Amino acid sequence: MPRRGVAPVLACANLAPDRRLMDKAALSHEIREIIVRELKLEGKTPADIDEQAPLFGEGLGLDSLDALQLAMVIEETYQVKIPDGGEERRIFASVASIADFIARSRVATSVGQGRS
Amino acid sequence: MRVFVTGIGIVSPLAIGAEKTMDRLVSGARAFRPVTLFDTADQCTHQAAEVAGLSVSDVAPSGDRKAWSRTDAMAAIAAREALAAARIDPATTAIDLAIGGTTGGMFETERLLAEMHRDPNRREPLELMLSHPLSATSDRLRAAIGPFRRARSVCSACSGGANAILLGAAWIRAGRAHSVLAGGADGLCRLTFTGFNALSAVAPDACRPFDRRRSGLGLGEGAAFLVLESDVSLRERGGEPIAELAGWGVGSEAHHITNPERGGDTAAALVTKALLCGGLSSRDLDYVNAHGTGTPLNDAMEAAALRKALGPEADRIPVSSCKGQIGHTLGAAGAIEAAVTVLAIARGELPPTGGLEDPDPDCNLVHVIGRGKKATVRAALSNSFGFGGTDTVLLFTRPSLARKQHAPAQRRPIVVTGAATLGALGLHGSEGSREYLEAGPPATSAKLEFEAKDHFDLGRARRMDRSARLLAMAMQVAVKEANGQSALSELGAIAGSAYGTVDSSAEFIRRIYEKGARLASPMVFPNLVPSSPVGHAAIYLGIRGPVLSTADLGVTGEAAFGLACELLEVGEARAMLAGGVEEHSAITERVLGPVCSGSANWKGVRTEGASIVVLEDEAHAAARGAKPLCNVIHVAGGRGTFSAAAASLPEPPRGRAIAVGARRDESTLSALAMTGWASVPFFDVASRAGNHEGLGGFCIAAAAAAIAAGRADGALVLGIAPDRWAAIVLGGR
Repeated sequence: MPRRGVAPVLACANLAPDRRLMDKAALSHEIREIIVRELKLEGKTPADIDEQAPLFGEGLGLDSLDALQLAMVIEETYQVKIPDGGEERRIFASVASIADFIARSRVATSVGQGRS
Repeated sequence: MRVFVTGIGIVSPLAIGAEKTMDRLVSGARAFRPVTLFDTADQCTHQAAEVAGLSVSDVAPSGDRKAWSRTDAMAAIAAREALAAARIDPATTAIDLAIGGTTGGMFETERLLAEMHRDPNRREPLELMLSHPLSATSDRLRAAIGPFRRARSVCSACSGGANAILLGAAWIRAGRAHSVLAGGADGLCRLTFTGFNALSAVAPDACRPFDRRRSGLGLGEGAAFLVLESDVSLRERGGEPIAELAGWGVGSEAHHITNPERGGDTAAALVTKALLCGGLSSRDLDYVNAHGTGTPLNDAMEAAALRKALGPEADRIPVSSCKGQIGHTLGAAGAIEAAVTVLAIARGELPPTGGLEDPDPDCNLVHVIGRGKKATVRAALSNSFGFGGTDTVLLFTRPSLARKQHAPAQRRPIVVTGAATLGALGLHGSEGSREYLEAGPPATSAKLEFEAKDHFDLGRARRMDRSARLLAMAMQVAVKEANGQSALSELGAIAGSAYGTVDSSAEFIRRIYEKGARLASPMVFPNLVPSSPVGHAAIYLGIRGPVLSTADLGVTGEAAFGLACELLEVGEARAMLAGGVEEHSAITERVLGPVCSGSANWKGVRTEGASIVVLEDEAHAAARGAKPLCNVIHVAGGRGTFSAAAASLPEPPRGRAIAVGARRDESTLSALAMTGWASVPFFDVASRAGNHEGLGGFCIAAAAAAIAAGRADGALVLGIAPDRWAAIVLGGR
C-alpha cells in the first residue's frame, strides 16, 4: 500500500517557478506519473498509459471521482485553473490533451491559498 | 410485535423542537445562511443550515462542559423532547438506545487531530479526545439522560439515522425490548464541509432538490429521536401512539462509494419490500419523504426508483424532500426525516421541497412546491440512501391499536458457519485462528505485511484504503470457508471500527489548514466516514444485504457480532458477516487507544488486525447444506458494570467448556469470577495477537473453531471495557 503522508505533489509545487514550460515529453510523463500515483493505479506504470488513449469511460476507465482528484492535483501542481462548465471533459480526455492545456495556460491564477 | 411511535424530538436548523420545526417546514422557511461555525473564506461555497441558538455548555452536565460536542448537545435536547412526549423516564422504565451518526465530535476534535498528526504524542486537551470515537455520543446520552439497558451506535453514512430506527424496531420485533429511543445526530464541521465541496457536491447557490437547475446539496446539522414502543407496552401503560412503524427495507447497491446506481433498482426494490412488509400497496400510500439531496445523480435515481416501485400511483402520491430547507444532515437525516414523515401523518400536513421552482422532467413526480399543504395521510414512506450505497426505506402509517397483531415476537436460531482472522499470526480461517488460544511468542510488530496483489484484483480494489483491505481480506477467507458463494445474495455485513480512519482524517484536516480547502483531496474524503471500510469491502465482494458499521469502545468486535445477531433473528438478513478492524495508527497507538479504551496499562504491542465471523439463521444454513461450526446460544451486552448481568448468563454445558476474552486483565477475570463459568479454563487472545479494537472477533473466531474441532462443547466470550460489557455464549451442535 502506498504510504500515507504528505503527498509528493506538494514538493513539486515548490520547485521550478513555471512547470508549464517543461519539455512536452517530460510533461506528458509527469502527468502519467501523477495519474498512477494519485488515482492509486497499483500495478501500472506511467509507461502503461498511452498518451492518446481515452482516460474516462473507456480506455483507462476512470470515473467522476477520479476526475475530481486529478483536477485538484493538476491545478495545484501546475498552478492552472480548470475552467468550469463542461470544458473539463475535453481537457481531461487524454494525457495529451491535459499536457496541451497546461502548456497553453498563460494565466497563473493561484489556486488554493493554503498559507493564509 | 408491532412497533409504534410514541414520542418525537427534533433539533433542526429551522428550530429546536419537533412542532416548531414542522411549523417552519410547512411554511416553506429555508435555513441556509452564511456559515458561522468556521471560516469559509477558502471554500468553494459558503452557506449551510446551522442549528441556531445552541449552547453546548447549557446542555452538558456540569463537569462535562469542556468535553461535550455540538453533536452530543443536539442529541440530548432531541432525546429529552422525545422521552417527555412519550412520558417515559429512563430511570423508571427500561428503555434501549440506538443512535446513528457520522461526525460525532469531529467539529471539536478536528483541529486537535491536525496538530496530532504533527505531534502524535500530544494528549491535551484529553476530554476533547473522548469525543472522537463513534460511540461517544451514546455514552454521553447514557450518562446525562439514561440509564439505557442497551446502547448501540451505528454508522451507514447518510442512512445511519434510519438504520438506527430500523434496529430499534428489530429489538422490539424480537421481543428483546419494549421501548427504544432511536434516532441520529450529526454536527456540522469543517471536515465534512470541505469534503463535500471537494467532491463538487455542494450547490454554489441554493439546494434545489428535483429542480432542473439543481447542482448539489446543502449541508445541515441536527438531531432527532423517535420513541418506539411495542403494542404490548402501549396497552399496559395506556399510552397514545402517534403513528405505527409498519414496514421497512434495507439493502445495499454494491455499486460505488459515492455515486448511486443510475436506474435506482435497489431503491425501488426496497420501496416494494417496505410496502409488502407492512401489508400495503402503493394505493394505500399518500406521501413520500424523499432522500432528495439536490444532487443531479441522486434525485434522478430516486425519481426513477419511485416510478418503478409505485407504478401509476406515482401520478397521485406527493413527494417532497426536507433537504431543500434544512440541508443534508448526514447521520441525523434519516431520523429527522422519519420524524417529519410521522408528523406529516399526525398533523395531516405535507412539507414542501424548498428551493424547487422548475421541476426536472426527469424527476417526474408529484411535487409539493412553495408552501406545504394539508393532506390526509394514511401511510407514508421515508427514504434514506447512504454513501457506499446502503439504502433504507421506512413505512409509517396511522396508528390503530385495534388491528389484530400480525406477527408474534420472533427469534430465529443463529449459527456460525465460518470465520477468519487477520493478525499477528497471519490470515487464517477458523481452524488457524484457534492458535490465538495457545501459548506462544507474543506479537512484536505493529503493522501487518502483505502484498495487495496477492489478495485483490487491483483494478477493482484501488480505492480501498488499509482498513477496507484488512477487512476485505478477512471477509474473503471467512466467506470461502462458509462455502459462501450461495450465501452472497442475501448477505449483509457489519464491521466495527471504534476510531475510524484516524490518520487519514488527521492528514485530510492538516492539508486543509496548510494548503486551504480547495486542495482537499476528493478521493480521500469518502474514506473518512466510519462506514467506509465496510462499505468498500462490501462493494468489492458484491454484498447486497444491510451494510453498517458500529463502534463500542473496547468491545467493538463483540458489538458487531451482537448487532448482526439482532438483525438475523428477525430476518432482516439471512446471513451476515460480522467483525471489526483497526488499522495501525500512531495517533491511536499513542493517544486515542490508551485514553479512550482505558487500556493505558497494556504492556504489550498495540497492533492492527481484522476479524470476520459468518453468521446465518439456522434454516438458511441448513437449506444450502452448510455445516455450522457452532450454535449461538446467548448474546448480551450493556452499559455499566457486568455484575448485575452475571446471573443471567446460561450455565456452561456439560462437558468441556472454555472462556475466552480479549485480554487477561483484572476486570475481565473478576467479571468471569462472578459467573457460572468461573472455574472453566480462561484464554486470552491479546497475548498472541497484541491489542486492538477487533480482538472480540478473534475471541469469537477462536472459540467457534475450538467447538467445531471438538475441543470444547461450549464457550463464553466475555468482553469487558470501561463502563460496558458483552457476553456471547456459543454451543456445540
